[in-house]
Amino acid sequence: MSDDLETRLTRALRPVAPSEEFSARLLARVGAEARLATPVLPLRRRRPAAAWWWSAGLAASLLLAVGIRHRAAESQERRAGLEARQQVFAALALTNQKVDLAVRTVRAESSDAP
Amino acid sequence: MNGDEQFARARAGDTAALVALIREHQRSVYSIALRMLGSREAAEDLTQEVFMQLGAKIGSIASKEHLRFWLRQVTANRAIDQLRHAARFPMQPLCEESPLFGDGEEADPLLQRHLRGLLAELSAPARAVLVLRYQEDLDPVDIARALEMPINTVKSHLKRSLESLRTRCGKTTV
Amino acid sequence: MSHTRRRLGLAVLFFACSVPGPVGAAADPRLALPEFKDLAGKAKESVVITMDPSLLGMASRFMDSSDPEDAAAIAVIKGLQGIYVRSFTFDRDGAYQPADVEAIRRQLADPGWKRVVETRSKKTHADVDIYLMTDGDKVRGLALIASEPRALTIVNIVGAIDLDKLRKLEGQFGVPKFDVDSSTP
Repeated sequence: MSDDLETRLTRALRPVAPSEEFSARLLARVGAEARLATPVLPLRRRRPAAAWWWSAGLAASLLLAVGIRHRAAESQERRAGLEARQQVFAALALTNQKVDLAVRTVRAESSDAP
Repeated sequence: MNGDEQFARARAGDTAALVALIREHQRSVYSIALRMLGSREAAEDLTQEVFMQLGAKIGSIASKEHLRFWLRQVTANRAIDQLRHAARFPMQPLCEESPLFGDGEEADPLLQRHLRGLLAELSAPARAVLVLRYQEDLDPVDIARALEMPINTVKSHLKRSLESLRTRCGKTTV
Repeated sequence: MSHTRRRLGLAVLFFACSVPGPVGAAADPRLALPEFKDLAGKAKESVVITMDPSLLGMASRFMDSSDPEDAAAIAVIKGLQGIYVRSFTFDRDGAYQPADVEAIRRQLADPGWKRVVETRSKKTHADVDIYLMTDGDKVRGLALIASEPRALTIVNIVGAIDLDKLRKLEGQFGVPKFDVDSSTP
């Protein structure tokens, strides 16, 4: 039974919004952190001004390419790992749901029994 | 983009979708933090912590329902932890001009401020139980899950807190 | 029935029924599960999960043992060699036939499997069968078939599944608990 106090409590505890300023800061910060987590590195091409600069530039590009491939591989592995983790959770949750179905059926039948 | 698509995209790493989810839930999270901690600054800090954690964890959240539950659970439990570590419960002085607790659209603002003040005097777990019950409209079973508390403890907190509030508000127990 | 008594009751049910059966040298707790492409085509929702040891290992590497949910899942999947799920939800009754799972049931008729739970609900028309394969007092595998009017679920877990730890996950991952007294004060 919901009495007057509970109604007043519900009203007193009505959710309030944070300030616009805080909200803007929060969304900007979360957005920035999320983008940092999956960086996209541009492959910079250098204009070859002289032979050794050109070699150094090529070496740098190669290192960057290796780094990007490594980063991409890591990112792919991470995605696969998180997906696998999610599948485990889904499988266990579903299994429990169906075991619960059996338990409820047993209880219902027991309570219906004369 | 509907809610399910938005959630799926956020899980897949879409930043805009994550931001939209936060916009949708920030009111609830902030309010739990505010009612628990009693200070706008502390509530903002906690809200930010919770959503930063969400950014890292979204990939493993199973569904929109799970998300709602997770946000309430993490916010309430972190608030309880903070209160337990504090030297004393932060008490916000009652002030009629302060918009801190209310939203300026209350039918009986004085009584409601009084109730919120009394709430701030409850223990951290009891306060969390009342906030999850009367602000978030969770039933005792879900409150017990969220706070990892036995169901009977939840019911006991509800019963005793309501009795205490009734007495202190000058109402007789029904 | 209180939550504790229900859990105890379920544990007793499981262990009272899981009389060690004869295990042939070739008894394999892994079922041959098809993809059920026909059923998937008719279903409004399908869950097909095939996790072998390497995928389970990968999953646990990405679990955080300091997170209560992750820690609970780690405790359950430790020692498992596979989790296989085929679950289909339909938008009408009768979208699948008993014959669709006949091949699975034939495998579960092998001596190594023992049906430990068999429930038939007259009200909901939901049938759940749970089988265990044991070796002495060790569980080597679990199989579950849940036939509901608009859903069919088959689960095969290979390895030493700890049923008590599995049941402790109830209420996590966004799945609500069932059968707990939820009367308000």
